[in-house]
Amino acid sequence: MLTYTYDSSIIEIRESANEQDMEFRIRALGGDAIDAAIRRVQQRFEQNEILSDVYSYVYKNHEYQFIVRQDFYEEFILALMRYRLLQRVQWDE
Amino acid sequence: MEQQAIWAIGIFLVIYALIISEKIHRTILAMIGAILMITLGIVDQDTAIHHIDFNTLGLLVGMMIIVGITSKTGLFKYIALKAAKVSKGKPKRIMIALAVITAVSSAFLDNVTTVLLMVPVTLSITRQLRINPLPFLITQIIASNVGGTATLIGDPPNIMIGSAVKELTFVSFISNLAPIAIIILVAYLPIFLWMFGKKIQSTPELQQRIMEMDERTMITDRKLLYKCLTVLGLTIIGFFLHQLVHLESATVALAGAFLLLLITGEHMLEEALQHVEWTTLFFFIGLFVLVSGLVETGVIAKLAEQAIELTGGDPLMTSMLILWLSAIASAFLDNIPFVATMIPMIQDMGTMGITNLEPLWWSLALGACLGGNGTLVGASANLIVAGLAGKEGYPISFMKYLKIGFPLMILSIVLSSIYLYVRYLM
Repeated sequence: MLTYTYDSSIIEIRESANEQDMEFRIRALGGDAIDAAIRRVQQRFEQNEILSDVYSYVYKNHEYQFIVRQDFYEEFILALMRYRLLQRVQWDE
Repeated sequence: MEQQAIWAIGIFLVIYALIISEKIHRTILAMIGAILMITLGIVDQDTAIHHIDFNTLGLLVGMMIIVGITSKTGLFKYIALKAAKVSKGKPKRIMIALAVITAVSSAFLDNVTTVLLMVPVTLSITRQLRINPLPFLITQIIASNVGGTATLIGDPPNIMIGSAVKELTFVSFISNLAPIAIIILVAYLPIFLWMFGKKIQSTPELQQRIMEMDERTMITDRKLLYKCLTVLGLTIIGFFLHQLVHLESATVALAGAFLLLLITGEHMLEEALQHVEWTTLFFFIGLFVLVSGLVETGVIAKLAEQAIELTGGDPLMTSMLILWLSAIASAFLDNIPFVATMIPMIQDMGTMGITNLEPLWWSLALGACLGGNGTLVGASANLIVAGLAGKEGYPISFMKYLKIGFPLMILSIVLSSIYLYVRYLM
């Protein structure tokens, strides 16, 4: 299982599971740079050829929602890491 | 029949059959057919070039460039999400709103482009509401074909008819076809609700999520959007005025496209030209030459003669024959080659005693555009949506679509028959 840690002073992440997807509610607390990084994650999944891998939704107050298909969970977490929204990602037994 | 006419028919039928079989790309086949017509001496090169309708090609290129650049601005996502919010997040209302948006967009943009822009945002909204996207996608397929019927630039058959018949302007297409397209769409909407309403239920909490979304973030490049909307507006005004200012619709579309490139800057040029579907353009070129073989050898004139014999030259019967034949043929075959063949045939009917060809042109336009709704293979937009939906885990089978699309197509042709009769033939 992939676990992650993040700096809660710049970002807030809530993760939940439903029947077929994982849902992430992410709130940017660290200013424009964090919003920009979240947008890059959003663009990364919008620009590939698969439409249903990750759906992203933007709300007011710097809040974002990502609905992630189970088979794209790791890829999504690694995208958050890539854009420095996470501090650490590791495999746990 | 002359030997050359037999060759022309043979080449045409073999190429047509191969296009239907979809074993080889239709563009390659059409171009090979065209080359055979020339190399076998059925038409000489000058005559073949004379038969290529550069107005159709120019109009397609111009609109492809404008739409290609506009699609980068996020405008469609914005409109779709705004519509979802205006619908208060309620699935039935959203389905109807998206179908109407698709129809209106398809009237002014290419159907395939419209559905390509609508499908991702539809999947996104339906996933948020946790409902099956298929009712939305199927209603959008149907709406795109109805909307495309309404204008000269909405669907390739109309572009071809408008280019071939100079008297049929952008305004005449709208004033003659938009009313029936609106009637058909209005007739379809309650049927959509009856067919799918119970299958698309969502919870108030999920609907509230839609309401909380910020649609303004969908616009990715505001400056580019303003430029695109300005040029798109000017181009549409140009279409309305094209006959008044003695310009072909292709000149208007190309002027719009290159004005947009002028104000967006050179960096857009390469990317914009990538939006031009060269395969479609060469398909048209091949078809024009292929059909020229039938025209030059008198085959089309013979067919027109037989059609007039069959209907006794009666305008009502001839109109109905063209409407229903076009609809049934376009439901199963590619409507572009069909219309390419029918245009010279109707023109020949004019020389054989049918004085008012106008109802026949509208019959062809209505049959060819609306017929596309009959089956999954009836129009390119249908196949594009089915392909995307299948890839995302929502397959639309031929039979599943047929059960919905074919009766709706028949209904639209019945309504068109009444419209044609009341407006032109009574």
